[in-house]
Amino acid sequence: MLMTRPPPSPRLPRMIRADGGVRLAISADPRRGGVPMRIAESGGYRVRFPRGRICEGVFINTGGGMTGGDRLALDVSLDAGAAATLTTQAAEKIYRSDRDDTEITVALDLAPGAALAWLPQEQILFNEARLRRRFEVDMAADARLILLESTIFGRTAMGETVTNGRFRDSWRVRRAGRLIFAEEVRLEDSIAQTLARGTVAGGAHAFATCLIVAPDAEARLEEARTYLADAPCPCGVSALDGYLVARFLGHDAQALRGALIRFVEAMRAHAMPRSWMI
Amino acid sequence: MHAHLPLMIWFSPGFPVGAFAYSHGLEWACETSEITGAASLGDWLADLIDHGSGRNDALFLIAAYQAADDPARLAGVAALARALAGSSERRLETCMQGDAFLTAIASAWPCAPVTAWHAAREEEAQAQGEEPEATPYPVAVGIASAGHGLPLPAVVEAYLAGFIGNLVSAAIRLGAVGQTDGQRIIAGLLPGLPERAAALIAAHDETGLDENLGGCAFASDLGAIRHETQYTRLFRS
Repeated sequence: MLMTRPPPSPRLPRMIRADGGVRLAISADPRRGGVPMRIAESGGYRVRFPRGRICEGVFINTGGGMTGGDRLALDVSLDAGAAATLTTQAAEKIYRSDRDDTEITVALDLAPGAALAWLPQEQILFNEARLRRRFEVDMAADARLILLESTIFGRTAMGETVTNGRFRDSWRVRRAGRLIFAEEVRLEDSIAQTLARGTVAGGAHAFATCLIVAPDAEARLEEARTYLADAPCPCGVSALDGYLVARFLGHDAQALRGALIRFVEAMRAHAMPRSWMI
Repeated sequence: MHAHLPLMIWFSPGFPVGAFAYSHGLEWACETSEITGAASLGDWLADLIDHGSGRNDALFLIAAYQAADDPARLAGVAALARALAGSSERRLETCMQGDAFLTAIASAWPCAPVTAWHAAREEEAQAQGEEPEATPYPVAVGIASAGHGLPLPAVVEAYLAGFIGNLVSAAIRLGAVGQTDGQRIIAGLLPGLPERAAALIAAHDETGLDENLGGCAFASDLGAIRHETQYTRLFRS
């Protein structure tokens, strides 16, 4: 895809920045698992449900990326017993910002018996991007969630490096009202220098987390370990408190992507959404 | 009694929290040669203080200290500290030490906030018909030090010094550094702690706990996970 960067200056006035998102409610469906009941789209963000055997929604950013001051809110609720897979059409690109943060907020609400696979493609941060992201997940005790998020700093294959910027990411996952999992990433200022440190990433420029919350998640730890045994990147998996979490570091975005696909497909016993394969 | 005196005991290796049993993933880092000597150990510890669990722990301590008289707010801080310990051995490390610390304080150094916190947890546990949830270590320290009127900057500094001292001791037992190098690392890191403690307290006062949390010690977090399946191990984390 041809990459066009927004001009570094002058800064766009706030009013023409993208501010929108998608609100989506999915109900149970006997044939496809789920059916989208209410969809509200705004600010260049869309969701499409291609025809198929399962309920699979694809988020599309018609703006082709995000920059400072852009705001995206994704608000998804699954009714009792509904099952759905959600992904993105492409990797989300976060461009440089002169001042304001790019803000992404994701709220996922899973009613009893609901099952959601949240499988967006990578987000790619360009040099001097500033991203503030928040995840809020509220799920019933017997709901099932698999959530994959991966972040890449610069497309090294194209010679890009991210020397500076800011990535601040907060996750809160509540199960039956109880906070079971939180994530707080803060990576700012001299990003390349920080990533080079052994305690941080040892020079890796990509990382990913796969969180699985389900009644049987903890019991699958040994099985999950076998799917990571030959992974071509540093990774590991732990299980506690009703969830299983796998963490990955990537020196090579393609190798990381391969490891993620293998792990998620094995854990779900299901192929990745079609957009991942194009 | 001088205000700082209890801190010298609470963070000494003799205080019964079992700190000697935890390496915070250091055992894996030594096994895989991420840590090979004084320089890499010093870097590793400095990063934990600036980008990792040391920094988050300091913030949880500060938040708990400020909320020590408010069990409902404390419960929120404790829940977040537990949830952020996102692998089984990290969770074990902070919860076991926190509960042991509170038990020792309650029996030998009782104070009103610790008593009230125990009562609130028992009450909540009975209402839900479950065991009380564990109190993460920095939260336990925050409650007890507020209860004893200890100055917050000194508490944060002492907590971080204890954190560093314990991990250096672990590294010595793992053979990664010798005694002398271990002391040199501690002596090198301690002078930076007052400035860091003051900055974290100021940041917490200004924008609160949630906004200031956060780190990027991904490799350290991964090491804590990989330690779970390490073949021979001296440590529980």
